[in-house]
Amino acid sequence: MNMQINNMRRLTIATLLGAVCHLPAVAAPDAQAILAASDAVRNPGYPFGLTTTLLEYRNGKQTDAITLAVYSKEDKSGGQFRSLIRFVTPARDANKLMLKNGNDLWFYDPSNKASIRISPQQRLLGQAANGDIVTVNLAKDYKATLAAEEDTQDGERQTRRCYKLALAAISPDVTYHHIEMWIDVSNNRPVKARFYTESDRLLKTAYYRKYQSQLGTERPTETVIIDGLDPNWVTVMRFSDYAKREVPEAWLQRDYLPRFKPE
Amino acid sequence: MMRRFAFLFAFLLALAAGPVVADDLDALRLADEAPADVARASDWSAFIEAAAGRSVLRNGMSSPDQRLSLDVQLDKRLAPGWRLVFANRLDMFWQDEPTRQHGINTLKEAYLGWQARDDLMFDAGRINVRNGVAAGYNPTDYFRTGANRSIISADPASLRKNRQGSVMLRGQTLWDGGSVTALYSPKLASQPHAASLNPDVGATNNQDRWLLAASQRLTGNLNPQWLLYKEERLPVQLGFNLSMLVNDATVAHVEWSGGRSPSLFAQATQVGDDTAFRNRVSSGLTYTTSNKLSLTVEYHYDGGGLRDDQWQALPRTSLPAYGRYRALLQNRLEAPTRDAVFVYVAWQDALLNRLDLNAMLRHNLADHSRLSWLEALYRADRMDVALQWQVNSGTPFSEFGAASQRRIVQALMRYFF
Repeated sequence: MNMQINNMRRLTIATLLGAVCHLPAVAAPDAQAILAASDAVRNPGYPFGLTTTLLEYRNGKQTDAITLAVYSKEDKSGGQFRSLIRFVTPARDANKLMLKNGNDLWFYDPSNKASIRISPQQRLLGQAANGDIVTVNLAKDYKATLAAEEDTQDGERQTRRCYKLALAAISPDVTYHHIEMWIDVSNNRPVKARFYTESDRLLKTAYYRKYQSQLGTERPTETVIIDGLDPNWVTVMRFSDYAKREVPEAWLQRDYLPRFKPE
Repeated sequence: MMRRFAFLFAFLLALAAGPVVADDLDALRLADEAPADVARASDWSAFIEAAAGRSVLRNGMSSPDQRLSLDVQLDKRLAPGWRLVFANRLDMFWQDEPTRQHGINTLKEAYLGWQARDDLMFDAGRINVRNGVAAGYNPTDYFRTGANRSIISADPASLRKNRQGSVMLRGQTLWDGGSVTALYSPKLASQPHAASLNPDVGATNNQDRWLLAASQRLTGNLNPQWLLYKEERLPVQLGFNLSMLVNDATVAHVEWSGGRSPSLFAQATQVGDDTAFRNRVSSGLTYTTSNKLSLTVEYHYDGGGLRDDQWQALPRTSLPAYGRYRALLQNRLEAPTRDAVFVYVAWQDALLNRLDLNAMLRHNLADHSRLSWLEALYRADRMDVALQWQVNSGTPFSEFGAASQRRIVQALMRYFF
């Protein structure tokens, strides 16, 4: 309960900070607070579960479909999300599990009972890696600066007045070296983001769209990801079945994976 | 005309609004049309697998083989806290000619689980317990002895998937970052049963055994596991497992088991007692490239195996002893000698999207015999199609050279329900 209150307080403070930042003729908006408020739009401040459907397209044709059941909980100390991810489809991967706690990554296959540590590079082999874009508190791993306030088109092709934030990694083990992020000035909703490597190569572009009321606030229920190298490689991520779920600390470890039986 | 104007206006507006490029608009249009249905998790999964192949034998003759397999898994919550797990595989073989048919059923798991609290669980029944972080040889995988009824591939992943568990009682308690598991597996029968549908508890439960396993996360990247294992005819064995992230692309692992025990040869021949402290180690690393290729290299050491000179001399000294030794090794999935190298390459989406190329090499450093295995596997939506090729090479009495099959080529198709 205390954690919920703390999270609500944090969300409120972040939102207020964000709102204050919108006022004209006030000091420059606090980019970090805007980013934190935008994180809170994407992620509830308490343990939760959702279903993620990833549809992969290449050259306009659907080439893959993956469904994941994701259980996430914010780390008490680091503030980053730890997730238990269960593969629902494709059938060959059904009930395989992944535990993600920063770069501490474990993969469990129920058919051979093996819990294997995997490297971040191995995790990136699958489309499931895109799941990171959902349950990530960017404000914990990136330093935000306000690059501009400008109009941009959102995922519904509507023009939005946005803060354009430049995010620079402050944590060495993050996937993306720097990020450009557009956040709606009126409500701190993430609109669009571009993810880059250290050498400034565009890895992916993400549009956050189809906002719906989920767990008490309007959240994006779809993210469209466009590959930076091959723009014909598109991944549509749909989020459904949002639910508040208590995830005991003891479950977020390798030795619990064979026991994990989600509801 | 009005529509065209509206489109032009929208386009100009898009340009004015800044950085939405044509590719992005195409992608968003694609997303607009994406199907909206959401798949639901299922308690059960099953696949059917059909394989046809040809083996070239050591005498130069060749032999056709066909196989049909059905694999079923069920993991069902019966009531809050109660869980039923069942896994079974049936393999039907046709060798040489259609009339020579036989079937082998492998009851992999059948147990009931009770989660008394979030951090306390108990299980009873046939459970497949597998410990070990290594890929090619697992010294701490104590319950592998007698577990494989039907070997359909040399791929270590296949050996681990298609095996039967042991009947046991198991309890586990967990805390933040750590866990202790205790299990007891009683003797229920004396001899294995070869009958097709026999649950074959004699293969897995022919002696009393217990295991204690504990793990504690020391840091985010350091999560070792310690084990204590006891079986009827051996002193307590110690075990240790550790895998660590070296960098973004590399995981290193070490698996060790040690304890006083007779050599494997003494256990096979029941002659003499050479009990001593013996180490078994499997250690290596997995490196993944950015183009989806994972390379695993491992060194294996088995202190219970024969020395190089003993192994080379054995067939000349006593062929029956050689035969008994090989039979014991096959049952325990152990190598005859002490040192070996294992290499596994998995290349996902190689050359084509959804095409995986896998390759494995086992190299015995004493007799220089080799097992080479290659697989090309294409993943369709609900189906896998694979072509596998295996070569056993070496001198006639070497680890791999003694295999009756010199080459095996097999095509298989797997359909997931």
